[in-house]
Amino acid sequence: MFGYVTANELELKVKEFKKYKAYYCGLCQCLKNKYGVSGQMTLTYDMTFLILLLTSLYESETKANSFRCMIHPVKRTAVLQNEFTEYAADMNLILSYYHLKDDWEDERKFFALTGSTLLKRKVKMAVGQYPRQAAVIQRELNQLSEFEKTKSDNLDEPAGCFGRLMEELFVYKEDCWEEVLRRMGFYLGKFIYLMDAYEDLPEDMKKGNYNPLRKMSENECYEESCKEIFCMMMGECAAAFEKLPCVLDVDILRNILYDGIWKQYQKFQEKKSEELTDDKKSI
Amino acid sequence: MTKNPYDVLKVSPNASDDEIKRAYREMSRKYHPDANVNNPLADLAEEKFKEIQEAYNIIMREREQSSYSYGGNGSGNNNYHSDSYNYGSGNYGDYQRNRSYQGNGGYDEPQNAQMQAVYNFINNRRFQDALNVLNRMSMRSAQWYYLSAMANMGLGNNILAKDHAGQAVNMEPNNMQYRQLLNQLSWNSQRYQSNPYGGNYANGNNTCGTGNMCCDLWILDTLCECTGGDLCSCI
Repeated sequence: MFGYVTANELELKVKEFKKYKAYYCGLCQCLKNKYGVSGQMTLTYDMTFLILLLTSLYESETKANSFRCMIHPVKRTAVLQNEFTEYAADMNLILSYYHLKDDWEDERKFFALTGSTLLKRKVKMAVGQYPRQAAVIQRELNQLSEFEKTKSDNLDEPAGCFGRLMEELFVYKEDCWEEVLRRMGFYLGKFIYLMDAYEDLPEDMKKGNYNPLRKMSENECYEESCKEIFCMMMGECAAAFEKLPCVLDVDILRNILYDGIWKQYQKFQEKKSEELTDDKKSI
Repeated sequence: MTKNPYDVLKVSPNASDDEIKRAYREMSRKYHPDANVNNPLADLAEEKFKEIQEAYNIIMREREQSSYSYGGNGSGNNNYHSDSYNYGSGNYGDYQRNRSYQGNGGYDEPQNAQMQAVYNFINNRRFQDALNVLNRMSMRSAQWYYLSAMANMGLGNNILAKDHAGQAVNMEPNNMQYRQLLNQLSWNSQRYQSNPYGGNYANGNNTCGTGNMCCDLWILDTLCECTGGDLCSCI
């Protein structure tokens, strides 16, 4: 996935940051234990958010542990794991697999082929365990590549595919929170897809690739329109979140939803304004 | 449920949303079926657990409803229903489920059989069917854009929905119903942008405005109107 759903670490308290990190490392370790190094490569912050959210909602028993990690071999790393860690690891794997497979079929990227081949055998198990989620992921990614082939410039269409995919992952069990979780996941998914398109636009234009924002980018108020759309998506997502009785780690969750989620966007804006001043200097 | 939901959760009606969430947590931990497996009164506990869950949902729904109900100032019939955005199985939003479109004063009376069909589909949450009928129509009136906005919202197409609601307002600026839909579609976004939890989406200049003074003024005015007041009578 894309890694947009992350915390603004500077605004977190130290203990919150440690906890967030421990869930992240917990997911990383779980991926490694279940699916080996190739599984570990699929690690994202997006799924860490899902673990935090479901843990806060269901308050499941969480185990604290520590281990030596390859990347930081000297210090022991603290990890937090619970039933959602495994769930997120499985979802992460299924999603990465289909995503890579799509990339290979559409664009013949070599990395995508090796990636999907490596994951193929492992993903079978996860698909068998979560048929509902796996079926929706497959269906929506297929639909998405249809929209990409027909070069749809109706933003709701391709973004909606990713939204429906995401909402399915958010539904861990079909209970009284399902409706709100779906709404939250749907708009978060749309946000992620559109943010990705927004960031990729300059390169897609260069290479002549499909991008749903291409037509809109010809408008004068492109930047404002984009920001408005992003705020609309997060507005719906956050409104749904605020309806859930999340108390545990709510500060981390809000940090991500109201602040961290804009980190990439902010970086992109800074890069753009730098390029602009560079251009002016050279003139 | 006949009991007052606030009494069930043992909180004051003035409690903040977070206080309600904490109260819900405390009560649900105590009565959760998993915590009462060996309790001879497990049945009673489960009943209580359900009651708590229901009370929580009622309060949250009521609060969302009151934040939307800025139309009509107490006239009642224009209140947006709590379930207005709710996702049912496959439906991405549902506007005014309890609002009937027939015979409400005449000014937006369906013009023909096709429009009537669209109204019916929307009332029954069959948004895709509504959209199919709309797409077959050649005349794009303000009403057409209004209905298209509603159907698209129901399907989760919030970008197109807002576009079309805006179009309807442009074509008939004096229609309050169209304006209300547009306001409603912007409501969560505005609330998100004025959140107290930080956020750096304001392009580096960490103010809570949009960066455009006119736009800020318009939003502020809209928000004032939502609560019944008015900042600039000219907008």
